Amino acid sequence: MNALNRLKNITMNPKAELKEAVASGKKVIGIMPYFCPEELVYAAGMLPFGLWGAEMQANESKQYYPAFICSILHTTLEMGLKGELDDLSAVMIPISCDSLKGMGANWEAGVKNVPVINVAFAENRKIAAGIEFTRSQFRKIQKQIEEIAGRTVSDDEIRKAITIYNENRCAILAFSKAAATHPAEVTAADRCAAIKAGYFMDRAAHTELLNEVTAELENLPASDEGYLKIVTTGIIADAPRLLDIIDKNKMVIVDDQIAHESVNARYVIPEAEDPVLAMAERLAEIEGCSVLYDPGKKRGTQLVEMAKNAGADGILFILTKFCDPEEYDYVPVKRMTDSASIPMLQIEIDQQMTDYGQPESAIMAFAESLR
Amino acid sequence: MADVYTMGIDIGSTASKCLILKNGTDISGYAVIGAGTGTSGPKRSVEQALSNAGITINEISGITATGYGRNTFSEADWIVSELSCHAIGIHAVFPDVRTLIDIGGQDAKAIRVSTTGKLENFVMNDKCAAGTGRFLDVMARVLELDVSELAERDAMAENVVNISSTCTVFAESEVISQLSNNVNICDLVAGIHRSVAVRTAGLAKRLGIVEPVAMSGGVALNSGAARALERELGIPVRIPPLPQINGAYGAAIYAWEHRKQER
Repeated sequence: MNALNRLKNITMNPKAELKEAVASGKKVIGIMPYFCPEELVYAAGMLPFGLWGAEMQANESKQYYPAFICSILHTTLEMGLKGELDDLSAVMIPISCDSLKGMGANWEAGVKNVPVINVAFAENRKIAAGIEFTRSQFRKIQKQIEEIAGRTVSDDEIRKAITIYNENRCAILAFSKAAATHPAEVTAADRCAAIKAGYFMDRAAHTELLNEVTAELENLPASDEGYLKIVTTGIIADAPRLLDIIDKNKMVIVDDQIAHESVNARYVIPEAEDPVLAMAERLAEIEGCSVLYDPGKKRGTQLVEMAKNAGADGILFILTKFCDPEEYDYVPVKRMTDSASIPMLQIEIDQQMTDYGQPESAIMAFAESLR
Repeated sequence: MADVYTMGIDIGSTASKCLILKNGTDISGYAVIGAGTGTSGPKRSVEQALSNAGITINEISGITATGYGRNTFSEADWIVSELSCHAIGIHAVFPDVRTLIDIGGQDAKAIRVSTTGKLENFVMNDKCAAGTGRFLDVMARVLELDVSELAERDAMAENVVNISSTCTVFAESEVISQLSNNVNICDLVAGIHRSVAVRTAGLAKRLGIVEPVAMSGGVALNSGAARALERELGIPVRIPPLPQINGAYGAAIYAWEHRKQER
């Protein structure tokens, strides 16, 4: 599968994509989690470049953050402090969680070469005033992007970008569905890498490659016999060793509620006269992510439905270490999965982890209990 | 008919346990070596268990490896998680036990055992030494005691000292501070056991206690810690005759069952 290999190569070396884009004269904007209006960057002819941390040890970042802050922020800041992201023209940093609220100031204090675009959403994102606030913030961000791009961005350009992003979201979901029945051809690590590549490349090109892989898979017989079907939930689940453990235990990810993977893909932006208003409305619709205000605790309900629809044997709650919103969510989610009699295992991961002994034992035991 | 021997080896973080089973029921030999994965411990435990059983490795018809270092034992026919093996092992000793609390060198687990001895559900501790055998090792060193002396000292306690810190490092400082205030060592030991029990009971309650409850792992050899756990849970806790080799016992039974299916 050439397309899959191409996607895996991009994920393995995202900095090469960054260098290549910059060398071609394209400006690149770093996009931190979660739910930044990256369509505006794309509409301005620049490359949005996802910053979800990296598997590395963070040292210098500890001057700015205490050790008990999630590794996504630590390692992203570490890369910034070490000058590894100096090719970026700016970085979008939202304030979606308590730790992120300090990220913008930390970045400005420590990373001199890459300016910050602060991204604020309405906490009450679903009410009319909240949607209007988010829309107005996105319009402000649009102005900052225009300054960096050195030109204005029209609503038509934003609409075109939205169409490309919506197509990409549909492609991710279609690929995820095809991969669910083809674990022999697409390992858990492959699945993650194929989706993750979209954070580092042109979204239209990502869609094309993903669709190619999906079409190939759809022409092959299913290879999921004997595999345990699992649904994953959490912020990020891209650690190669974790994914390898899932494969070794003959588990296949049949769907996910991972912020880094399908949560972002599950909601398309509606067509509207004001495309930025439509982006704010889309943010109001998103469910299944702990950093978005969810008074109705719909994450658990959605997760149970996903597991039932996919015929899942169990759920893996992949807790990002030191992520308070995830820890708060775990309790109601666990209650809901217990009520639905769907087995769920919580494992804790960290991008600075070197020893996977405990998750390996836990996942193996979970698989044994499901068989 | 010739006797059939199977072996279970539980390679932990701090100890290697090997057990040889004859015809799926009789323990022919076992060994516990205080050296875990990455050391000579696994090899020595096998040699000693074989010697105790009076047989050679060629007479073993199947081997199951379990524990933290299970993947490093190349002679294994099956590799099974220690949680499943503990469930099988305790079911063989106490068939009615539904909750097993296993406290090993570096981790603690609460395991729900089905009526047929299958692993049904489990909770593991965080990556933290509190509530594990390592916590007791550290405290014993500070008190200038051997861990084997802790139970005896606990039995002589009159006023249990409260150890408020959960973290092993901070608890160690707290114990040193109490020592400098001339607090009775026996009272301190009982406080340390209560600290382990509080942590472990919390873990078990997360799983949900279904009686009867049993305890396994090296810490179960310490009657002071076991009594503290009983007090914390408010119910009796059964201890198998060989708590430290419960996982290896389950592993050997697993090997027997699977060889039997193949025959």
